[in-house]
Amino acid sequence: MSFQEHEQLHIKKNVKRKLTDTELQILAAEWSEHCSYKSSKQHLKMLPTTGPNVIVEKGYDSGVLDVGDGYVVTVHIESHNHPSAVEPFGGAATGVGGVIRDILSAGTRPIALFDGLRFGNIENDVHARWLFKNVVAGIANYGNCLGIPTIGGEVEFDTCYKNYALVDVAAVGFGKKSKLIKNHANPGDLVLLIGGATGRDGVGGSQFASDMLEGENRSAVQIPDPFIEKLIIEAILEARDAKCINAMKDLGGGGLSCAISETAESLGIGIELDVKNVHLRESDLSPDEIMISESQERMLIITNPKKLSKITQICDKFRIQCSVIGKVKKDKMMHVKKGKKTLALLPADFVARGPLIDRKKSKPKYLSKLSSSPKLKNKKSLSNVLLELLASPNIASKHWVFRQYDHEVGIRTVIKPGFDGSVLRLDNGKSLSVKIDGNPKHCYLNPRQGAIGCFEEACRNVVCTGATPIGMVDHLQFGNPEDPEIFWTFMESIEGITDFAKSLNIPCVGGKVSFYNETSDGPIKPTPLIGVLGLIEKSPLIPTSPSKNDVILLVGQTKDELGGSEYYEYVHNFIGGTAPQVDVSESKKNMKSILSLISKNLVKIAHDCSKGGLAIGISELCIFGKIGCTVDLHTISALSPEKTLFSESHSRYILVIEKKNLKFTKMLLSKNKCSFSELGKFSGDQIIFESDSKPILKLRVDKAENNYLNSLEKIIQNG
Amino acid sequence: MPNFQVSVVIENKPGISDPEGDTILNDLVLKSKNTNITKIRSGTILKFSIAEKNEKSAKDKVIKICDELRIYNPLVSKVTATAEKV
Repeated sequence: MSFQEHEQLHIKKNVKRKLTDTELQILAAEWSEHCSYKSSKQHLKMLPTTGPNVIVEKGYDSGVLDVGDGYVVTVHIESHNHPSAVEPFGGAATGVGGVIRDILSAGTRPIALFDGLRFGNIENDVHARWLFKNVVAGIANYGNCLGIPTIGGEVEFDTCYKNYALVDVAAVGFGKKSKLIKNHANPGDLVLLIGGATGRDGVGGSQFASDMLEGENRSAVQIPDPFIEKLIIEAILEARDAKCINAMKDLGGGGLSCAISETAESLGIGIELDVKNVHLRESDLSPDEIMISESQERMLIITNPKKLSKITQICDKFRIQCSVIGKVKKDKMMHVKKGKKTLALLPADFVARGPLIDRKKSKPKYLSKLSSSPKLKNKKSLSNVLLELLASPNIASKHWVFRQYDHEVGIRTVIKPGFDGSVLRLDNGKSLSVKIDGNPKHCYLNPRQGAIGCFEEACRNVVCTGATPIGMVDHLQFGNPEDPEIFWTFMESIEGITDFAKSLNIPCVGGKVSFYNETSDGPIKPTPLIGVLGLIEKSPLIPTSPSKNDVILLVGQTKDELGGSEYYEYVHNFIGGTAPQVDVSESKKNMKSILSLISKNLVKIAHDCSKGGLAIGISELCIFGKIGCTVDLHTISALSPEKTLFSESHSRYILVIEKKNLKFTKMLLSKNKCSFSELGKFSGDQIIFESDSKPILKLRVDKAENNYLNSLEKIIQNG
Repeated sequence: MPNFQVSVVIENKPGISDPEGDTILNDLVLKSKNTNITKIRSGTILKFSIAEKNEKSAKDKVIKICDELRIYNPLVSKVTATAEKV
């Protein structure tokens, strides 16, 4: 525990006495980068946060979006990177638990989970494989035990995550607007701690997450207990219905220290708490440990004293522990006692609002050293390149992962994982489409355009289901912000996301910043992750299989943008070149046109064209439909076949159109001034790409299918 | 070479919580009025049959396998091995 110079000055200026040990521990937890956002808070304000669907209340841990007819959806995203890198099963599982409680804290029921996972190269790194297997097992165990479907996500492998893991979890909740918790508190209200007992697990976790990972840290290991979490969910929702909850907060990073100070600060109240009343797992826990323990499955509730017997009755019914640990006061102070002895007495806003830091930024030197194109020695046949890419861990089907997750429990899942956006049925007859996307390879070459690209890709995926984007969450993951070059990449990313969000009028309703994602091998590549929620007023476009003579249209322009592509990085082991850039006007125009075509029932399948480029997008359709196709590249661009096939240019959609709808579809696209090409049609059992009517790539669908569907599992099983 | 059965017990280290053990204690054992039971720890047992020259080398070999294959997380778990000739 140590404070930086400006923090010491801030303490000296505001507290005219020596701080107690407990106060020092509380401040160290709350002012850690993880809890205070000291490097990023001032910059996050640039993101647009309001919109027609956004509901804002004090102290919400999750974003709330109005979906009409008296219903809301809630959404939140978190990561559990450091704990998962140390103990992958428990770290990932408790990451799921934490984000679920954020959803619960608004008074909504969690209905779906999404996971963005990143690891080192599993093809040659045993440790990366161990992390991967155990993270997936941890997520599956926790989500499945709770009966909450895990319906989407993404998995990526890159050597920059060697000996590390990025585990991002997003959760979606659903409920009635009238039952949202309107956080408030009155003097005399009681402060309750509900759920799991407080132990030594996770002590110092928030500070651990704010340091670089250099060794294994036992104190930061967190042990999951999904069965208590399930009981907490049901108890809280029953207490909500019985109007027992005035305010509520999840206990996450920083434990009681952060939950108490942040609740008091956001509601403009004081809280007096007695550590003697906290229910403990280990009786010898010191007051300081109690205040900063990050034991899982705990919720803080503020209730009226008249409601105490009811809430106790509910907790007894669900057999979860409930302790009255303090009371609300007028004085706006955070007062921690043990019996009559005061251990900490500080203004809540002083604790909750740590001093911010104005970090320096400078453009990274590595950017000017990158080559623009690789020197290709042995030219491989395009058919072999496609086979290789279909089997590559980043492109191959992730069904080995998502088949471990129960993705149907709750009977809301309309579009399951494995396609573009996943879709959930809502009680008002509408549907919700959700997708999370990231691309560190693009972000490494161009942090601003890379971040915009992740955002646009997530939008494209929900648009492919017929959904209009209504909100987004971002998770910004970077190395040490004290390094000006890393901070520059953070600033570029957030500025890019802000510009794009404003252009498309998509509000940011939640997010998280995670810095210090570094190991002794260095920092991770910039890894912003964007989650987009889209609303479907009528029916979603449910993917079906392409049939013989269905026509393939490509909407959007294919550009010379192989930088950061799987083709460059996986096939040629080359990092450099021009990363894809989003043309905002083309992006808007294409999104609007695709939604219009889907609403007119003209589209059989809409598929996002992204990782691996056009060749992979079309191959996926052939594999899903077990049918071949013939595609003429000449109609697309004047670029070389490699660039046309594997460039990962944004704003592109592959449409499968029945012949009877082709004329009208083309007419509407022309009317909307969209750039599009008629590529060919489905037939036979081979994937054929032609240039000037000559085949340049020919691959049997069953061969492609074998590589695409089985490669990831083979790597896991055979190492 | 003689055959040994090496039993490897993997459990959470002392001080790390054990929700499974706690649940068995609170929801099963104590509810059956076995009030003299104060703690239950859960774990996993793996039984390896191995041909080795003696008990010690059988145990050492099995522990080495568990370490190398990372069958347990040394950060979280305590591992004990016992061997008996079969």
